[in-house]
Amino acid sequence: MYIIVEDDPSVADALESLLSGAGLPVRVFASAEELIHSAALTADDTMIVDLGLPGMSGGELVRHLEKAGANPKVIAISGKSSRTIARETEGLSDLKILRKPPSADWLEAITA
Amino acid sequence: MGEQEDRRTAVSEARFESLLDTAADGIIVIDDTGRMLVFNKICERLFGYTAQEAIGQNVSLIMPPEFSMSHDRFMSNYHRTGERRIIGIGREVSGMHRDGTVFPLELSVGEAKTADGRQYIGVLRDLRSRRAVEQRVSQLQAQVVHMTRLSAMDEMGAAMAHELNQPLTALLLYLQAVARQVKACHADGKPPSDKMLDVLDKSVQEAERASHIVQRMRQMVEKRDPERATVDLREVVNEALDLSEFVAQGATVTIRRVFGMTPIHVDADATQIQQIILNLLRNALEVAKESEERWVKVSIGSDDRSAFVSVTDSGPGFSEDVGKSLFRTFSTTKKSGMGLGLAISRAIAQNHGGDLMADPGGNGQGATFTLMLPMHRPDDAEDDTWG
Ligand SMILES: Nc1ncnc2c1ncn2[C@@H]1O[C@H](COP(=O)(O)OP(=O)(O)OP(=O)(O)O)[C@@H](O)[C@H]1O
Ligand SMILES: [Mg+2]
Repeated sequence: MYIIVEDDPSVADALESLLSGAGLPVRVFASAEELIHSAALTADDTMIVDLGLPGMSGGELVRHLEKAGANPKVIAISGKSSRTIARETEGLSDLKILRKPPSADWLEAITA
Repeated sequence: MGEQEDRRTAVSEARFESLLDTAADGIIVIDDTGRMLVFNKICERLFGYTAQEAIGQNVSLIMPPEFSMSHDRFMSNYHRTGERRIIGIGREVSGMHRDGTVFPLELSVGEAKTADGRQYIGVLRDLRSRRAVEQRVSQLQAQVVHMTRLSAMDEMGAAMAHELNQPLTALLLYLQAVARQVKACHADGKPPSDKMLDVLDKSVQEAERASHIVQRMRQMVEKRDPERATVDLREVVNEALDLSEFVAQGATVTIRRVFGMTPIHVDADATQIQQIILNLLRNALEVAKESEERWVKVSIGSDDRSAFVSVTDSGPGFSEDVGKSLFRTFSTTKKSGMGLGLAISRAIAQNHGGDLMADPGGNGQGATFTLMLPMHRPDDAEDDTWG
């Protein structure tokens, strides 16, 4: 399952179109809190998470999931500067970062 | 008796002369024919003649030629009609140094009736240094305006990049999605599906969202002539607030607008007024962001003379200490602040004949900054004939 956590509805919808268009199973959440309340992730899942979420940030969500023992594959997306991204993902292992706006095919990047 | 009187006169004359020579201003006394009777030390410096050289000569000696002619006319006119052009009024005139340099002077003239006939006392102040200061101040002010514009633009640039990022990301992803589907259909020899058209529609919408952002930014950044026009303050402020929603950058601060229904007309440079509003708003948002309630209130009102725009926030207000230097340039409590926002805002307000005032708040109240501008008066032109 592909899990999208993104607060901008257009970006979320576009990502969903891209993934579901390729026949992949997708669920969309507008916030970290929404995801935590309604879904449990497993190592088979891929979570695509915006780092700059309102409320609990993307980085905090990843940390929270790690602590809870769920370890999905994580792809972080962000439109911020590389320095800000480095700060926000400090101490997080093993995550792929895609920067907005996309400069390459995101479907390939996500499913790779 | 007569001897004593003479001595007294001599003493008071000496005193008068020493007074003249310690005066900070140039002092000249002339009789009713324009002959100089007194020419003090400052005058010696101003005009390059010694008192000895000047006394007894016509005052036209120290005037540029075109002025000295009208001076004679003024004097005889005054003697004939009693019409005052300068006496008791004071005005800016030109003086001429011995070397021919013409310079601005402020001249006030008093009249004395003496036993020897009418005499006129002129007090002269060299305006060159003041002029230079004024020029420097206006230069600095222009620089500061430029700088705040630039830094506001930097900030806008960053805000714009952020705002554009979302629609561009969505747009590119939609196009990537539709491109894949077109390719797949092509390979299968099938016609494009409704779903693909739907995705294309959405991508057009995202492109429009991006271009709308660019348009609104452009309206602000484009240089307009710094010309004053009669504008509705509500519209000017509204535009600035719309714009600042970018600067707020998705922060969850609510901006409340408390505007009346009737237009509030002021004579102002709209861009400069927006500059003030943006500065106030930036400050307010910065503190509101860290506060519990997270709001900024912008209200507009007026009485019959003045229009007001007040910006209040849910922040903590500011201390007496901060209040003392609030409007001073380069006074800031922020790490990345330049301390220019309020200084330049007040300068602009005062240039418009208005002012910028601050209420410190405190005890759970946020600060309030109030911009005051004179109301537009339709009959201003008629009033001009006074004076
Ligand atoms: N709404 C406010 N609430 C509390 N303090 C304020 C508020 N607005 C301004 N101040 C205080 O006044 C100081 C001066 O503000 P000013 O806008 O002139 O400069 P700045 O915001 O520090 O820098 P910048 O040049 O970027 O605007 C601020 O540093 C802050 O301490
Ligand atoms: Mg400021």
